[in-house]
Amino acid sequence: MAEAGRKLSLAAWAWVLVAAVAAFELLAHPVIQAAIPSEDSWEEASTFVRARFEPSDRIVAAPHWTGPIVRRELGDLTSLRNAALPDQAGIGRVWELAIRGATTRDEAPALERDFGGVRVRMWPARSPKILYDFVAEIEHARVELETGEGPLPCPWTQGRQAQGGLERGPMRPAYRFACDQERAWLWVGPTVLADLELQPRRCIWQHPAGPDPVRTTFDHVPIGRRLVVRGGVDYQIARRRAYAPVTLRVWIDDELAAEWIHHDGDGWSGLDIDTSDREGSLATVRFETTTAEPFARLFCFAASTQAELGRD
Amino acid sequence: MIDARRLTRRDHAIGAALCLGYVAVLLYTAPDLAMSRDESFYVHAAKNIAAWLSELVTDPLAALDQSRIDPAWRYNWEHPALMKLTFAWSWLAQAHLGLFPRDSLAFRFPGMLTSGLLLWLIYAWGASVMARRGALFASLAFATMPRVFYHSHLACFDVPIAFFATLTAYAYWRALSDRRWIPVLGLVFGLALATKHNSWMLPGVFLIHFAWLRADEARAGIERRTSPAWLASMLIIGPLVFIGMWPWLWHDTWDRIGAYVSFHLRHVHYTYQFMGVSYFEPPLPVSTPFVMTLFTVSLVVLALAGAGLVSRRSELRPPWRLGRGDSTTRRTDLLWFGCLAAPLLVIALPSSPIFGGTKHWLTAYPFLTLFAGWGLLAVSEPAELGPWMGRRWAPVAFAVLCLLPGVVQTRHSHPFGLSHYMPVAGGVPGAADLGMNRQFWGFTTGSLTEWLVAELPDGGSVWLCDTTAGAWAMLQADGVVPRNIRAARSMSEADFALVHHERHFAEVDYQAWVAYGTSKPVHVLVYDGVPIVSVYENPARRARASSH
Repeated sequence: MAEAGRKLSLAAWAWVLVAAVAAFELLAHPVIQAAIPSEDSWEEASTFVRARFEPSDRIVAAPHWTGPIVRRELGDLTSLRNAALPDQAGIGRVWELAIRGATTRDEAPALERDFGGVRVRMWPARSPKILYDFVAEIEHARVELETGEGPLPCPWTQGRQAQGGLERGPMRPAYRFACDQERAWLWVGPTVLADLELQPRRCIWQHPAGPDPVRTTFDHVPIGRRLVVRGGVDYQIARRRAYAPVTLRVWIDDELAAEWIHHDGDGWSGLDIDTSDREGSLATVRFETTTAEPFARLFCFAASTQAELGRD
Repeated sequence: MIDARRLTRRDHAIGAALCLGYVAVLLYTAPDLAMSRDESFYVHAAKNIAAWLSELVTDPLAALDQSRIDPAWRYNWEHPALMKLTFAWSWLAQAHLGLFPRDSLAFRFPGMLTSGLLLWLIYAWGASVMARRGALFASLAFATMPRVFYHSHLACFDVPIAFFATLTAYAYWRALSDRRWIPVLGLVFGLALATKHNSWMLPGVFLIHFAWLRADEARAGIERRTSPAWLASMLIIGPLVFIGMWPWLWHDTWDRIGAYVSFHLRHVHYTYQFMGVSYFEPPLPVSTPFVMTLFTVSLVVLALAGAGLVSRRSELRPPWRLGRGDSTTRRTDLLWFGCLAAPLLVIALPSSPIFGGTKHWLTAYPFLTLFAGWGLLAVSEPAELGPWMGRRWAPVAFAVLCLLPGVVQTRHSHPFGLSHYMPVAGGVPGAADLGMNRQFWGFTTGSLTEWLVAELPDGGSVWLCDTTAGAWAMLQADGVVPRNIRAARSMSEADFALVHHERHFAEVDYQAWVAYGTSKPVHVLVYDGVPIVSVYENPARRARASSH
């Protein structure tokens, strides 16, 4: 009898437990729905940021998957460099639009407001000043492809953009230096790379042709304390970690300033070249890419000369 | 052995009502869904096959020549024939009789019908061994799984193979006690083989089950043991039906079967995002099918399935627990457990190609819900919680309560079935936080058509990202988008470019930034606040618009 009573009790508890699970699922649904910020909330938060935005400001989204919504609201304020940041230089303040308690920073903000679940926070940034952005100035560079018969100039041309699509690599822009009609990938120009973490990186596409270098030369470059170089290989290729490393050599006034070897798997990385001994001068800067085997070397780099830290 | 009851007309009336009711709901809701990538490929194949079928009727001798068969069947040769044949017949019916209000429905109807029949089958098999209430619950619980509901609409093979795999298991189960079902088993296994390669695992499941059964009989000292004739039926009739239905295999048979098998054993790996990581080569985490099941199936159904398994544990006992003279059964629960576990385990194997989507183990879910039916009965029948329990309405109310989460979530999931996640995952935003797959197949373009048509009143062009040209053409054929809104080959030619948000599609987002010189989409399609598709506007169009 006592055992029968215990069994009934267990069954009753199971009934209650299952009913509670059903109730949880039913009640959780409106709770989840209620926590979703409305379109009005996004708009109000964006209006607030827009009114205070300054050209050197950067806008970020948290969690990262809200990025398209934030760019829809404020993307017109954001340059491609700031949307696809190659490094942290040149940023005056960081605005963050966030939901669900997510954040991109741990430190206390200088400003915080909430708009119906969309939290706006702002931090002043302490970042170096950009003196010369090689990606922005690429149109003014000279590009040549070294061959057995001497250097071959690559003219700045207008051509067809790439079609776009998955596993097609970074977009080939309409304006670019075209080095070889037979090798459509052998061009140099500005694009945005998806790096190994799938982060966007504004950069100069300079697919190496092989052991003979592809050269991009910039004249009259104002030199600061450092020359910062970052680079990487397209995500779809780099994730396989299967292909030959890419070598990037940086020459300043025909003097080898740095040699950097990038391996698939390194991700978006690079080096900071100390140029303090040339600070204040104008120089010719040349970037050369080479590789032992040019198959699938979708390499892209960004560089800038930078001065002292910006404001706090 | 008598371990099941005979179904009555009432049972079949209930099954038929489930079938017809579900197909009606699917027909009603299908226009909300643009065709998926895979559907568009099967539509193309079905049209080729339909032309060949027409020739087969008018000039059979010519049609049977390899020079006619090969061009008609070469496209999409990597998938067997049965469902593509049904799509083709349905398309021919549409072409001659205009049965459906939209062309897409003509292709989708056969798949929808298998969804309805599967509900009937789940109910019927359940009602053979448990109280009707449990069987009805199982069938409805399956119908109200959001991902099942989405896939049930499609001109694809995933729900059809769930139907034919379950039907094959049912025929095997019947064949164990009734010899008349032995040839039927071979036939339906052939149909399963002719539907999708998930069927390959069925003989293995049945062999393990049968070995268990024979061990039972040996332990119990039964002299007249269950016949293995079912296996011969599967191995002889099954392949004959498979080859007989697929004209592509009528010439160069062995080479083509070899190519078909090899294609699936060495399948390309899809990129699939799971818990924040985009997997593109094996191994996918072993937990994937289990976590995805937890996140996409109603928790209360999973809880009841667990309760069902516990309540039926004595039926899962090993043979050595039997003694001489003990009675034996067909071990229905063991068979169900095998059919539930096998698809999940195959996907969980570290060596399996990366597929990812829940559709690849949908064949497990009929059995999951049958155990949930047992669980419902096990939990609700013996419980006594006060004076109102024991009344007629109480168990019904409990069953309805347990079905409601699935109903609510399925309704909410439409037409974003592949983006939907259950409350246990935190819903759609919670799953986005966890880094779960957002979508695939590009069908969510269907939710943008109204916006695009409004923006392009005089026509224009759209770069479609993951949506195929065939899927777009079907939207045009259905009258959803006018024909003067074209699918553009490249972003630069298009007025608008779409980007379907999957993590590894980030590069396409960035391509649009470069193509149009801005990172600002003009429109973002969201579902529960989570971006599904971004739309970018070509600055050339903007310039044209402002000059007017």
